[in-house]
Amino acid sequence: MTTPQNYLDDNMPKFITQLKEWVAIPSISTDPERKTQVRQAAEWLAADMISMGLENVEIMPTDGHPVVYADWLHAGDDKPTILVYGHYDVQPAVIEDGWDNDPFSPIERDGVLYGRGATDDKGQVMIQMKAAEALLKTGSCPLNLKYLIEGEEEIGSPNLAKFVEQHQDKLSADICLISDTGVVSKEQPSLTYSLRGLMTMTLVVSGPKRDLHSGGFGGMIHNPAQAITEIIAQLHHPDGRVSVPHFYDDVLDLSTEERETLALSNMTDEAWQGVMGNLPDWGEDGFSRIEKIGARPTLEINGIASGYAGEGFKTVLPAKATAKISARLVANQDPNKIFAQVRDYIMEIAPDTVHVEVLEEHHGFPALTPLDHPAVQAAVRAYEANFPNSPLLMRGGGSIPVVPEIQRILDLPVVLLGFGLPDSQAHGPNESFHLDQYESGIRTVITYLQEVSTI
Amino acid sequence: MTTSLDFAKSNSQRFEDELIAFLKIPSISTDSAFNPQVREAANWLLAEFERIGLSTELIEMEGHHPIVYAEWLGAGEDSKTVLFYGHYDVQPAVMEDGWETNPFEPIRKDDGFLYARGATDDKGQFFTHVKAVESLLQADNLPVNVKFIIEGEEESGGEAISKYVKEHGEKLSADVCIISDTSMQDIDNPVIINALRGGITFEMTVIGPKQDLHSGMFGGTVHNPAQALAEIITKLHNDDGSVAVAGFYDDVLELTEEERTEIAQVQWDNVDWSEATGAPVPWGEEQYTLLERIGARPTLEITGIASGYYGEGSKSIVPHKAVAKISCRLVANQTPDDIEKKVIKFIEKLSPPTIKVEVKKLRAGALPALIATNIPEMRVAITAYENGWGATPIFKREGGSIPIVSDLQSVLGLPVIMMGFGLNSDNLHGPNERFSLQMFHKGIATSIHFMQEIATLPSIEATEQ
Repeated sequence: MTTPQNYLDDNMPKFITQLKEWVAIPSISTDPERKTQVRQAAEWLAADMISMGLENVEIMPTDGHPVVYADWLHAGDDKPTILVYGHYDVQPAVIEDGWDNDPFSPIERDGVLYGRGATDDKGQVMIQMKAAEALLKTGSCPLNLKYLIEGEEEIGSPNLAKFVEQHQDKLSADICLISDTGVVSKEQPSLTYSLRGLMTMTLVVSGPKRDLHSGGFGGMIHNPAQAITEIIAQLHHPDGRVSVPHFYDDVLDLSTEERETLALSNMTDEAWQGVMGNLPDWGEDGFSRIEKIGARPTLEINGIASGYAGEGFKTVLPAKATAKISARLVANQDPNKIFAQVRDYIMEIAPDTVHVEVLEEHHGFPALTPLDHPAVQAAVRAYEANFPNSPLLMRGGGSIPVVPEIQRILDLPVVLLGFGLPDSQAHGPNESFHLDQYESGIRTVITYLQEVSTI
Repeated sequence: MTTSLDFAKSNSQRFEDELIAFLKIPSISTDSAFNPQVREAANWLLAEFERIGLSTELIEMEGHHPIVYAEWLGAGEDSKTVLFYGHYDVQPAVMEDGWETNPFEPIRKDDGFLYARGATDDKGQFFTHVKAVESLLQADNLPVNVKFIIEGEEESGGEAISKYVKEHGEKLSADVCIISDTSMQDIDNPVIINALRGGITFEMTVIGPKQDLHSGMFGGTVHNPAQALAEIITKLHNDDGSVAVAGFYDDVLELTEEERTEIAQVQWDNVDWSEATGAPVPWGEEQYTLLERIGARPTLEITGIASGYYGEGSKSIVPHKAVAKISCRLVANQTPDDIEKKVIKFIEKLSPPTIKVEVKKLRAGALPALIATNIPEMRVAITAYENGWGATPIFKREGGSIPIVSDLQSVLGLPVIMMGFGLNSDNLHGPNERFSLQMFHKGIATSIHFMQEIATLPSIEATEQ
């Protein structure tokens, strides 16, 4: 009889080809003009689900991009049901951002696949799909499976909570499994048990009713480009702390034990330099890199635009300036409360010489999963069986907005079985996925499903 | 016999049509993608000068847009010579900036204005003198020698013209220089500009990580370049609106009581301010009036910022760099070289060790200009306005820069008279730029009167002070 592992050995080239095909579809959910391609990525996935033997495959509508659902429920009532969550949408990408190749014409170079979505999250969704395929095609699937793959993760999953609520029975399960996080290295797996929440907003500062000539008017109008920087500069203390009053009030302090655990997975200087070059560390004093990323909230400027910043020069006094601002939040912080705090603070410091508006965009709660849950311990064993080292237990700096929602609505533990590598450039140019990591990922998920079927 | 004024009147429609043809050419000098169109505009103008009877030369300087030169010296050596300066290049313009009609498809609207990029800055304004010369040549007579020097880089620094004036000053020798590239508040109160601000522009780049980073995976550990840029920009001004750059005001001439009185003659109160700008309340150095802030005080402005993602939706990144464009407007006796050193030094001192900062001058700076208001040529200009425009002009200090003015003043030793025919509400550099056609024709008449009057002034020796 063919084992799932044998099936994997025989089919790895096909799995790679399939991943490339899927990555080639520019399913950019943030761009309304890409709606067709987002749908196309959903259809591609649904077709693959059918061909691997999943049942009840459905492209289910939401108010935005659709959800792809599938299940296989023939392991028996006494076996656990796993709900796999992932997303088939990707961040924007254009070659001008600094890509070496077209982000949607994925290429393989030295065993690494380059393309938008290679790691976040198409590559990792495919790890889940191909593990299930290996189990199903070899007739050895030991538990019940459900899949919930959405198309709006990169825009904050605005419709998913409602969707999960509407389909609670359909989605009911014992454990939720998600592959959308990273590991320390190919040799050193890691298990993320905490995620930061996210609050995004747009700050708009406007002055004159239109762009004015900087000579004709400069010196008697508060320049919105200057005014916005004055506001932004007041969002942090010189020591790197966020200066919004009460911003840190609800943040839980780390225990000494947890700090010791986290210290094992702190980012090394080498890894830091690989990403940052020679930049020195920045941020809150008294916290390690991993603590700043995983256990401390931030307020970041994601973008600013005002006036003319293209080639050459335009002597304008800009009519307005816009900044995209986001906060990463940690366990126990509430994004609604943080939004109100930041908004109120900005309105308080806003000068009366310009108009200031703060627009709310989206909110995601932070999440924390108990480390001693059997589903988490099974994940530790699955990594141990397929990687040279035991996984480090980590806090992730990113957000998967749906994690806290699923936890809340379906009342189940969420296990983050991630495989992304630190150099994967998720959200940046030249996003990549190492193909040997892709294979290790599939093996680990097979082991995990086998391990967890016995609890 | 037809007079030149009659000729201008009976040809007014044709003059407008010619201007429209000229405005259709998108001669955007700040963007190299438009180099062919800049040249097309130069050639169009060259042909126009030849058509009206001037001899021409296309002055080529390597790496620069061509300068259009034209002259008519038929009045003879004993007659006065008037040098006209203008520029045929324009600012960038795209529909997305808020234009109601295509900026390069000029349109005459019912309000009596012609809408197009360059309508007032400066194609429409200098074209008045071309048409005045044509009218004088075609009708009675042209009593003065005329020279036109029309450049194609005013909006991008005017480096070529500045070099040309310094190297070939003799060719441009004249008795007086006329420039129409300025504006007035309303048509009944024409203005002669007697001061211009100089300027210098910079680009500041703040560089952080090697590429954009995921703000979740790295946010909080690295100094965000967009934030760092904001922190630096904030420190460029003091809380009272003055520029914080060390030594910035060292060479600024303080205003005399007389000058403050002259400046106060211009009608420009807070109501006008609010209408022209739409901004909530005035800002700036409180001890100076609004007009003094524009005409007699230097500034440091942020004309553009870009960092990270600012399109539709959001992108959760730490941007790897941030760019700001900075413009300083200078007044007598500041010099761009001195301010360049001071600004760069100041920003470098502000740079934190957590990021890299690069500041560079973007293009050659311009000296400020200040012209005495009591010289005979100014009196002639006043008479020309009274006869041609129908109103007595007042003197005003302008906040903008015309880089060439200080060169013509300092190198050629010419009195420069800035006969602006635009309106403050013409939206120059902004969307829906326009030019009043009534003012176009009044400008032609004023120019005709000026040439006729200046011809009767006593010799230079007698008037030189």
